[in-house]
Amino acid sequence: MPESSSAKLTDSKPLSNLFALALRLLWRDWQGGELRLLFVALVMAVTSVTGIALFTDRLEKALLLESANMLAADRIVSGRGDLPREVIEEGQARGLRTAEIISFASMAFSNSGNMLVSAKAVTDAYPLRGDVIIADEPFVRGRPVQTGPPPGEVWLESRALPALEIDVGDTIFVGEAELNVSQIIIAEPDRTGGSMMDSAGPRLMLHMDDLEQTNVVQLGSRVSYRYLFAADTIEELDSFEEWFRAREEWRGRYYMRDIREESEEVAEALERAESFLLLGSLFAVLLAGVAIALTAKRYSERHYDYVAILKTFGCTSGQISFIYLTIQLVLATGAVVVGWFLGWLVHRIILVFLESLLLVSLPQPDLQPYVVGALTAFICLLAFALPPLLALRETPPLRVLRKDMSQQKIGANVLYVFGILGTIFLVYWYSQDFELTAILVVSVSAIAIFLSLISYFFLRSSGSAGMKAGSAWLLAMTAARRRRKQNVLQVMVFSVTIMSLLILTLLRTDLIEEWQAQLPENTPNHFMMNITQGQIEGIENFFAENGIEGNQFYPLISARVTRINGDIPEPGDEEQVSVGGGTLTENAQLDDVDLDEGVADTLTTPQTDAPPVNTEEATTGGRRVRGGLSRRQVTWAEELPNDNLVTDGDWWGVESEPGYVSIEQEYAGWLGLQIGDRLEFEVNQQVVTAEVSSFRSVRWDNMQPNFFIIFSPGTIDHIGATFLSTALMEQEQKILLNDLIRLFPTMVIIEIDELIEQIQTIIAQVTSAIELISILVLLCGALVLLACVNASLDERFHENAILRTLGAGRKLILTSLLIEFASIGLVAGLIATIGAEASVYYLQEEVFEQEFALHYWVWIAGPLLGMLIIAGLGVNSTRKVVNISPLNVLRRVI
Amino acid sequence: MIETRNLVKAVDTSEGVLTILKGINIRIEAGESVAIVGASGSGKSTLLGLMAGLDGASSGEIILDEHVLSELDEEQRAILRGQVVGFVFQSFQLLPSLTALENVMLPIELKGDPQAREKASNLLDRVGLAERWHHYPNQLSGGEQQRVAIARAFATEARVLFADEPTGNLDTATGSKVVDLLFELNREFSTTLILVTHDERLAARCDRQVRLVAGEVVDAEQTEEAVSA
Ligand SMILES: Nc1ncnc2c1ncn2[C@@H]1O[C@H](COP(=O)(O)OP(=O)(O)OP(=O)(O)O)[C@@H](O)[C@H]1O
Ligand SMILES: [Mg+2]
Repeated sequence: MPESSSAKLTDSKPLSNLFALALRLLWRDWQGGELRLLFVALVMAVTSVTGIALFTDRLEKALLLESANMLAADRIVSGRGDLPREVIEEGQARGLRTAEIISFASMAFSNSGNMLVSAKAVTDAYPLRGDVIIADEPFVRGRPVQTGPPPGEVWLESRALPALEIDVGDTIFVGEAELNVSQIIIAEPDRTGGSMMDSAGPRLMLHMDDLEQTNVVQLGSRVSYRYLFAADTIEELDSFEEWFRAREEWRGRYYMRDIREESEEVAEALERAESFLLLGSLFAVLLAGVAIALTAKRYSERHYDYVAILKTFGCTSGQISFIYLTIQLVLATGAVVVGWFLGWLVHRIILVFLESLLLVSLPQPDLQPYVVGALTAFICLLAFALPPLLALRETPPLRVLRKDMSQQKIGANVLYVFGILGTIFLVYWYSQDFELTAILVVSVSAIAIFLSLISYFFLRSSGSAGMKAGSAWLLAMTAARRRRKQNVLQVMVFSVTIMSLLILTLLRTDLIEEWQAQLPENTPNHFMMNITQGQIEGIENFFAENGIEGNQFYPLISARVTRINGDIPEPGDEEQVSVGGGTLTENAQLDDVDLDEGVADTLTTPQTDAPPVNTEEATTGGRRVRGGLSRRQVTWAEELPNDNLVTDGDWWGVESEPGYVSIEQEYAGWLGLQIGDRLEFEVNQQVVTAEVSSFRSVRWDNMQPNFFIIFSPGTIDHIGATFLSTALMEQEQKILLNDLIRLFPTMVIIEIDELIEQIQTIIAQVTSAIELISILVLLCGALVLLACVNASLDERFHENAILRTLGAGRKLILTSLLIEFASIGLVAGLIATIGAEASVYYLQEEVFEQEFALHYWVWIAGPLLGMLIIAGLGVNSTRKVVNISPLNVLRRVI
Repeated sequence: MIETRNLVKAVDTSEGVLTILKGINIRIEAGESVAIVGASGSGKSTLLGLMAGLDGASSGEIILDEHVLSELDEEQRAILRGQVVGFVFQSFQLLPSLTALENVMLPIELKGDPQAREKASNLLDRVGLAERWHHYPNQLSGGEQQRVAIARAFATEARVLFADEPTGNLDTATGSKVVDLLFELNREFSTTLILVTHDERLAARCDRQVRLVAGEVVDAEQTEEAVSA
């Protein structure tokens, strides 16, 4: 008996032959165009990921650098009064670079004049980051240096020279020290990151060694101390910060900050941009993944016959897998190389756009983005393309005899599981955020289930609706119903794609709009405070004469809530409520330099946010109620300030009556107020009562005067106040500040022009980045749509060829195709719109912290666009179906 | 060469179990040519597929070239097919993305034979398609495609050739040319030939006929009488 002779059956096919065969199949399929879409999808995935990663990598580094430049250091320690030496010694012991700054307001005297200046004494190492720009004469472009003045010299800001009537080379007195004016300061890195003392007048910079000689800094005088630290690695900084924060006894006295706490606008813009970029690259990869899945599925469906034939020739399943793996790997490798190049190109293009905006040259990226790009391609392939291709190995060889023998062993479910697992992995890998991953997974699956249900029912009902219409309708609807299962899948893919694109577009538009509204072109960049009633007219005239854009004058007075409906207030927990930030003085600035009460009050109200919180460690999530029950700077006004919205109650309007007060809504919530409550205030040692008539929302980030408490006119007018106003002064108008200060010597001017400019620059960069990413994702989306339309082509080809041999005219078939695609597009667009609005609502509430409002235009544009795009794409690619002769189509079918 | 013992094939359908082959016993010697005939739906293709190791039987045994197929898994059956078996199909089954020459070369190359190109071109000459090497299947007529398929079937010097209605898609004249070619090569390579056909004349050219009626072999002698009558 011949039994059990199977031991002889060893395989003799050499791998090299299989490899050659794989390459040949690859080459043929490539020429036949079958693999091109798959290749393009892979390239898209690599391009978008590599491009975005390269760009964000460099941008992040650049922004870190740039923002470090805003501080002249990586970390700054400041606090009330003198700082413990221990801090700087520890920093030095850890190998950090250190510098010290003492700033104070002082009078500078020349032979012929004098002026209040913001003096700043620095040690040799200053600045640790960024450049001081100096020049040999005033009002010119300077050159960068990484040092302050040497002992015996002072550097002055340009406009101080005409005011003091001196030239470079002359000497001036600062306190008791006589110092030589050797250079002009055009710009300094931490001009905007300073304290109140740095805004008192033009800058005067001197060496720390000369400070003692001036004799102006004495115990209790208004001085701001800072320690600066810089290091090469984030880890060193973090461990230093940890050491610092561990010192309980320093809490509330000394503060360590970095740029994130320095400028909330910048930090927020960066954070949102990062979220957006992350989301964008996720969408790009997912869409590319869907395109890969669709094209790979179609590719493998077309290869069932191949595999069956190869199997009759004796190819084992393992060898089939080998062949198709080889094809995929070669394809992926090619795609990675092309994608790398395109990704690099994309990021170069962004850089060219941004070059003019960036203040620092971008550091070279490392290899990480390329690795990320390549891994993405292979993971995408693994998750999306491999399952259908591996299913090929299960093709029964009997298929050569019975065409209907189909793939059963690896079910569609396994494919989905692979795709879903791959997706989850990618999301987690990119975001490194478990919560975000979980949320995304849950919501996407919810949306998918919801979508499939809706689209299933839509297509179901459309059948009977179409029955009564003409024959093209009839044809389209019966076709739609016949392919219901595929169509449900198509509608799902279409709507998820359109949805992603809508989500990104909506987020992008809202973000950019908000940023533009936050700091429009003509944002006032100078604050003027401590203005008396009598000076207002003079100042207005001065502005009018010199073409300066002035603004409303707000009266300013400090007040304190003492009773609510006769009871002592019991406010909520400070940490948990995010009530609008302290205003400029309410923030630490002034406590920091230990200003006495009187000055503090005058300097108070503008919510510049600019050099913010140093009295308190930054708490997570928003601002805190600083000094909630202590004094607040209040005002009265007839009209509701810009950017304020009444959220409850009524604004008093033009015919206002005294005795009312409007409260910022979160502050009101924190105090537990109701409309109609009677509040008792202590204003300048007088008791005032007022009824709460409205709550307001306030835009804290617009760098304009903002108030927690506004009284109706006539309520506290009699108590006497100083006034505050703002003005927009262009660079070339700044020299006028000298005249202004000479005319109104008691007025205090705070310059925030550089800060605003810096923020605008960063926001502009971030905006361009967001635009580009949106375009990339749009391309990915287009690819998916194309892939999805193409995926249904084979069957349509065959079906329509048969219809045409049966006598259906070209026009009829085209019309019916148009109707079929258009209705699929309409349904998909509608579903996408619903999904997009829901997602945008969630994202804006939870991630971007924006106010959500329905986007009415999307409800029309979404379905319409879906219809037009799908119908256009569909008819365009199926035109071949009707143009090719039916014979050719039927011949193609082996 | 090939032997079946009590071969049964049953499949599950929506209307319950359908028994396609009901205990087939046949024996085919090496070098023999056998025609499997019978009405449409009688189970001819099913039997062919089973004997060629393209599918598994429900019960019973098939011995192909001294291997008991039921003892082999699909991987081993594949290797066995590669070494022993060649096919010609009604619908040609050429790979559409390979040229005529490449189609013929494919199985030779898979065996690791370095002379694939030579052998393939000789065979294409042999079937009269010398000038059509570089044409793709959709550039060839049905008869030409079937000739390429025959060249491919003999390319690996298979010892058993299975053909399922090789002339089914061809007109009579072309069909008989293809059949001539098939028998010519069959003699030349002294292959065992098993073919399924409706064509009585084609069946008559075989050494022997096996007639299937509703999944059962009807008496071989009866068959022979029926044919000679
Ligand atoms: N996998 C299967 N599932 C269900 N029924 C099957 C399957 N395979 C074969 N059959 C049925 O078994 C019967 C025999 O099929 P087979 O293809 O062997 O017939 P045949 O003799 O080759 O017919 P023809 O001359 O028309 O090719 C047919 O009725 C067919 O429908
Ligand atoms: Mg048959």
